[in-house]
Order: sequence, then structure tokens, then C-alpha cells
Amino acid sequence: MYPENNPQNNPGICDDSCGTLPECAPLAVPYVPFQPNNPKRYSQQEALANGTLFPGLNLPFRIKAEAVKVLGTQLAELQALEFMLQELGLYLDTHQDDAEAFQLFRKYAALEAEARKKYEAAHGPLTQNAAASADSWAAWLEGDWPWNYTAEGGAK
Amino acid sequence: MFQYEKKLQYPVRIKTPNPKLAAWVISQYGGPDGELGASLRYLSQRYAMPYPELKGLLTDIGTEELGHLEMIGAIVHQLTRGLTQEQLREGGFAPYFVDHTTGIYPTAASGAPWNAASIGVKGDVICDLTEDMAAEQKARVTYDNILRLSDDPDVSDVIRFLREREIVHFQRFGEAVRLAKEKMDQKNVYFTNPAFDTAKK
Repeated sequence: MYPENNPQNNPGICDDSCGTLPECAPLAVPYVPFQPNNPKRYSQQEALANGTLFPGLNLPFRIKAEAVKVLGTQLAELQALEFMLQELGLYLDTHQDDAEAFQLFRKYAALEAEARKKYEAAHGPLTQNAAASADSWAAWLEGDWPWNYTAEGGAK
Repeated sequence: MFQYEKKLQYPVRIKTPNPKLAAWVISQYGGPDGELGASLRYLSQRYAMPYPELKGLLTDIGTEELGHLEMIGAIVHQLTRGLTQEQLREGGFAPYFVDHTTGIYPTAASGAPWNAASIGVKGDVICDLTEDMAAEQKARVTYDNILRLSDDPDVSDVIRFLREREIVHFQRFGEAVRLAKEKMDQKNVYFTNPAFDTAKK
């Protein structure tokens, strides 16, 4: 891990939307500031709505998109928990020494497993393996496939 | 291996069919900077990557891009459901309809079918990661342009989510270059290609 990535080496210099760069960097290589460890985070619902877990990386386009949020459904809650794992996973790929982020990953993995169990009990299996606990194979085939949606609510 | 999860990464719920918008959004399915190319680029680059962080990051982002491909397919499918005779003729959707009806086919909005020439796998650590940073920027601009054109808030909301993912991925690829550089020759990262010159270790 880059030494300058440790916020203790750079106390109070960077706000959350900034990262660290080497003081003296070899030429002819691209540099992106490293996101410091333990960055500020959104809640899981805010993270899914914004497309990132990290306020410092939330850089929207000037044209704002406004839609009625579909949060609050059982599926959206599961999607929000899985998005936490997705974002923390990518972050940990480049920040494997951030122990707090790994603890969060463990916490959200447990919450996701619980939410998945509840969702599947109400709406059917999300994977073929999960179809093993259903009454018949029809549980895997029936119900809405993810790309189907009509405003009236039925599958099409 | 991959196992299918019967859900989308982010909800896609388009209330109003709009073939004109579908004919633009399809570009992120099979256009030069679309999600099909993104997933194949990263998942194919993995094999030459010498360091575990880079194997992991390319696997994880490449897999997420497959989920984005599915979301774009869902948008186009929902925008083209139950079209009337009039709707088929309006807004430039007819050429796509003649060739593909309302099936989902990987093509650019400008008409060229998906082509592997739009992605790069060079087998060199710095080169491939630099390509990936550029690719994320190109996809981000395509989403900017779709946001300029879209008049449907249901579509724009999903496009906005996908656009933000490109920014996060750019950041992670940038960090990956730094991690790679740290493991390579600090004075001259071009001295060898660790993806190929393993015998010199």
C-alpha cells in the first residue's frame, strides 16, 4: 500500500472528495489520487440511489434525473444490501489493508444473507441452487424475470 | 464460473414505451463504449494480470459490467414493448425493427453491430489499465449524451446510476495503476512487462 495513502501521514490536508498523490512521482505514468482509507459513506439506501457508497466519488452530471424512487420494496432492500457489498468489494480490491471496511463487508454480507432468505421465501428462488428448497422446478421458471415490467404491475 | 442471479443490480421500471429513446440507449448494449465491450475487455484482460489485486479488480468490475449489460437490455426491452403501428414508424426505430423486430441485438446507435475492434487487450499491465481508464471515461460520456437526449425520467434515473458507476470504476482502475507501479520497477515501469517477462524474475 502506498505510504501516502495512510491519512495519518497527511492529517487534515485532504477533504473527503480529495485523495493523495506521491510527493515526487516518476514521469510517464498516469496518476489518479488514491482514495484515503476510511472514507465517508452513505447509508445503504442512499448508496444505491446515488450509484456509489462514497460521497467523495459522487460526481453527478449537470442534467439531473428525477424519478420516483422504488426504494422500500423487499427487492430494492436486497439490491441496496448487495450494492454495499459490490462497492465495498471494489474498494477493498485496492484497499485491502482497510480493516474497518472489511468488517463492514462482513456485516453487510450477513445482512444480505438474511434479506435474501426472506426475499426468496416470499418471491421464489434467485438462483437455481435456491430452487432446491421450492416445491417444484416451476418456482425457478415462474414469476417475473428481471427485465419484465409493466406499469400495470404484471409480467409481460 | 458464473451463476445467474434472477434480479437486476438496480431497478429498471420504465412506464412508457418510447422506441426513439430505445434506438439511442441500445448503444450501451452493443456500441463501441457499451457494457458488452466493457465486460469482455475486463474479463479477458484478467489472464495476463500478474498481481492478485488486479486479477480481483478486473474480475469484480467485469462481472458488474455483465449486470449493467442486463440492465441496458431491460431498458430497451421495456421501451419497445407493445408498440403500435404508428410507434414503429416514428423516431428512427424502423431500421432496427426491420432487422431485429423488438429483440435485443448488440449494435451501436449509429447502426454498426458490436465489434471486438472496439476493445483492447494488449497483455501489458500499464497499457491495459490505461485503456480501462479511457474506456470508463468513454462510457461516462455516452451516458452524459443519453442524459442530454432522454425525456423519460424513468430511463434517466437508471442511466444516471450507470454513469456514476463509470466514475467509481475509473477511480479504482487509477488506484490499480498505482498498486501495479508499486510492484514494478520504481525507476522505469517500462523496463519489463511483468505480464510476459516472468523468466527474468
